Amino acid sequence: MSRSIFTAAAVAALPLLLFPFVLHAGAAGKGDNKPQQSRGEQVFAQNCSRCHVPPMSIPPRVTGTILMHMRTRARLSREDEQALLHFMAPK
Amino acid sequence: MRWNYKKLMLIGLSALLTAQAAHPQNPDENGTSAGYTPVLSGTFAYVQNSNAGVTSLEPEIETVLLVPFSSHVLLESRAEFTGFFERQFQTSGPYVGKVFKNVDYAQVEWLANTHVIAVAGAYLLPFGLYNERLGPLWIRNLQNSPITDLIGTRPFGIGDGIQLRGNAKETDAYSIQYSAYFSARSSINQLAASRLAGEDASIYLKHPHLEIGQSYQHTLQEHQINSVATYVSWQPQQTPLDLKAEFDRSFYGEGYWIEPDYMFTQVPWGSAFFRHLQFAPRLQLLHPLNGGGNSLPTKNTQEFDAGLNYYFRDNFRLVSSYGRQFQQHGNENIWNFGATYRFIWPLWPGRK
Repeated sequence: MSRSIFTAAAVAALPLLLFPFVLHAGAAGKGDNKPQQSRGEQVFAQNCSRCHVPPMSIPPRVTGTILMHMRTRARLSREDEQALLHFMAPK
Repeated sequence: MRWNYKKLMLIGLSALLTAQAAHPQNPDENGTSAGYTPVLSGTFAYVQNSNAGVTSLEPEIETVLLVPFSSHVLLESRAEFTGFFERQFQTSGPYVGKVFKNVDYAQVEWLANTHVIAVAGAYLLPFGLYNERLGPLWIRNLQNSPITDLIGTRPFGIGDGIQLRGNAKETDAYSIQYSAYFSARSSINQLAASRLAGEDASIYLKHPHLEIGQSYQHTLQEHQINSVATYVSWQPQQTPLDLKAEFDRSFYGEGYWIEPDYMFTQVPWGSAFFRHLQFAPRLQLLHPLNGGGNSLPTKNTQEFDAGLNYYFRDNFRLVSSYGRQFQQHGNENIWNFGATYRFIWPLWPGRK
């Protein structure tokens, strides 16, 4: 298989693969900002799944440590880290 | 300078005790129940690989040690213990092999403020999407790394020196992240690095969940080559799709990969089974430049992979994939079957 055929196939396949998802995402519209969603929940939903399956639970006594690690790795702001702490380990 | 594992373990234990003395956990200090207990996290993985008919068994333990000294200073390190066993005569005979031990990084972080995190030590090079973010065994959806992951990360994959990173600007609509680093040439056993400098920056659009980024690196020794990467990551809100794509180029080659991973959570029937199932296809191409080398193939290489992963829980899954690699000297089939398990163990007693 030549390089050009492979590239053409890749370029052609991508829109076909993505088209239904783009349509679906667009049709879903702007109902994204659920008013009941806390800032911590929003930060969690927006950031964790960018790289991995979000964890279902983390023991509260290590949540601070894990979020320091994730703040560095994901380059989160201090405000996002605080929002996640309140969401993942409420008092 | 020669490091061995007893020394590293001793340093880790000393750091752990010092951390507890300096910063006894105080879960209520920020109005939450979050504690700052040292953690040993990581992955147990077992993958059976078949490449062009040659089978290898690859058990692996990847450990990440996190030791906080306050809510602003963190020591972290990752080590890998990888077994590699093949039949003595490739397709026949008993399995023989050995276990490789490797320290991936060891760094201290100072989380100064919302814009600046200073990192010192041996750090993973923040180049492209893969090396720093998608590399861990429990995160990667296909067990083989993309071929172009070798660009900007070889020969060592780490930098020894300093790095500044953080969140440059954040609004309700977007955030901009950056990393800038300098590495000295080093021959420390397990932590060797090249003399180089580089940066990575990305913008994340919050509503469409779309991230666009680029990386640049310049080596400051020998050939003094430039490496660049541009990448996209997109997770549409109403569709369980995770699209990632990256283009890389250096003196030794250029190429791209595209990986649109899909969780079958929207299948209208059999949801008890399908919502745990993930399809992970990847298309990639590498074109060597100037003869290739520096770990890159010397011939044009194309590869298509299709993976199926089943998540029993968020931290335990079965992984499988089939790949077909096309090269000028012949094509190969690549099969992977295995499992990954992610663990998080507090290293200090604390309140439940």
